[in-house]
Amino acid sequence: MRMIGQLGEFCLYSDRIEKGICPERETLKKENYRSIQGFTFAYGPSAGGLLESVGIDLDTFGEYISDVKVIPYKIRKVRVKSIIDNSILYVERINGSFSASHTISFITAIEEGLGIEPPYEVKIGRIVEMELERIRNHLIVMQRVVEAAGFSVPSFQLLYLIEKVNRVIAKSFGHRYFYGVNGLGSLRFYEEIKSLEEIKKEYKEIYRGIIDNRIFIDRLQSNGVIVDKEGIGPVARSASFKNDARNDGNYAEIYKELGFSTVTYDEGDAFGRFIVRGEEVEESLRILSSINLHSVEYESKKRNNEGEGIGRVESPSGDLAYYVKVNENIIKEVYLFAPSSYNILAFSSSMVKNIFTDFPFNWESFGIWLSEVGVIFE
Amino acid sequence: MSWFLKGIRKGIKTEKEVKEIAPWATSLIGNGKFDDCPTKALDNGWNSGKCIFCRKCYPNYSPSGDYRMGSVTRRVPLFKRSFYLYPIDTGSCGSCNVELKLISSPQYDMTRFGIFFTNTPRHADALVVMGVLTDGMEDAFRRAFDAMPNPKLVIALGSCAISGGLFGKGVKADVIIPGCPPSPPTIIDAILRARGEK
Repeated sequence: MRMIGQLGEFCLYSDRIEKGICPERETLKKENYRSIQGFTFAYGPSAGGLLESVGIDLDTFGEYISDVKVIPYKIRKVRVKSIIDNSILYVERINGSFSASHTISFITAIEEGLGIEPPYEVKIGRIVEMELERIRNHLIVMQRVVEAAGFSVPSFQLLYLIEKVNRVIAKSFGHRYFYGVNGLGSLRFYEEIKSLEEIKKEYKEIYRGIIDNRIFIDRLQSNGVIVDKEGIGPVARSASFKNDARNDGNYAEIYKELGFSTVTYDEGDAFGRFIVRGEEVEESLRILSSINLHSVEYESKKRNNEGEGIGRVESPSGDLAYYVKVNENIIKEVYLFAPSSYNILAFSSSMVKNIFTDFPFNWESFGIWLSEVGVIFE
Repeated sequence: MSWFLKGIRKGIKTEKEVKEIAPWATSLIGNGKFDDCPTKALDNGWNSGKCIFCRKCYPNYSPSGDYRMGSVTRRVPLFKRSFYLYPIDTGSCGSCNVELKLISSPQYDMTRFGIFFTNTPRHADALVVMGVLTDGMEDAFRRAFDAMPNPKLVIALGSCAISGGLFGKGVKADVIIPGCPPSPPTIIDAILRARGEK
């Protein structure tokens, strides 16, 4: 049993929910580190080097960081409290890079609420989507870290692979970000997934080349250390904790059948997070090579007309969960636990006592997406 | 082996012609009105700037395979030799951001056309707007626009920036690049036309 985080009015654990506020995460409490008077360096909300808009206030007295505040600037209103089909359109677009994870978690919560059991093929199809998404996002994070280190050749080679993965997704699902793929009662799939062998071969060569480079390793080692046994995603796994919704979330049984193995590292620093992502790409490619997929239309037979449910999956950056209350075909209430909300806390805590030049590597190593943090459900 | 040699060994990966395109990132063809369109993109024929390519109208409307969806209301041929883009995310889901980044991937290599990203609006020829114009980013958007030297262009990338899509309001732009999100070939094609090419 582990605590995952705040899900609306509930605290979400891996095996239950409890009404109320989650206990404070002791390991993420920031150290008081204001020895002499300093100044605040304001970065963002729009600046070169940022993939998304975000304001980052870095308190410093020259070189060392004494405090960090992450301020989301783009707050979007998401009208999910409507008929199910329309609400899925919004959920798909909360975070484009984690679109499959968001949508599958949301639909799983609805299915739980209405007592719908999707066929096995649909569950397998959802795993394929989430693993392809994981590969793409891990490659994006690795590319951002490598780019921050000024390694142009591997950076462009990773961009090449990201484009290749996007093409594989488009060919099989019709859309590069899984929009319009998942519905309550359907999973749209066009053709068998091909070209993964080529990606696997090219990736292996690039990845080994990067982690063999001493200069690169030096930039990441001991940078942004977080050892939190109640952490999520690559942050927890890089510190040797096997916290992963693929072991205890909604699709855990199928992952077990597929022989899923959790990747861990033992340092909890930016390098550890890089290694975990790097090895997870290989694990995801292995899982995908063992699956044959085809398009499925299924009848969503409801056992209940109303109900509430929770869907929890492992997004590329950690546990992602939705709580949904549904009545007939209408969504009445939605709560979201987005992995980036945890990762922002972990990043802010890890930056204290680090030096200014560590900031870009550390920021990128957490794989934070501001788009999923700045949403208000209506 | 050094990274330089590793790079050379891979050979040229840039594609002269567009090789693969996602079906639901191309213009739609079909007939008649479709009442259930969530963004009212089919009220008067197909409106590319409003369409979020959600497939709700399928099979009444289906993808044509034509990725050249961008439209340009003002061209600046001065930018033919070099064109510096400053991306600004005013409220996107992040997918437009990744697709814009991918125009620099070896498959597309934007620099062969003299297209570059810049880290400051003061050095930019065009502002590439991604996402709906959220309240929090309105001031940053105006300030970035004011900081740019003349002549300058505003490029709205994706249905959110063009029309607000599902989430809110868009921006007034000289170049619109439809898609949710637009694919790299659509982006490059529109940018080249904004410079008076093609």
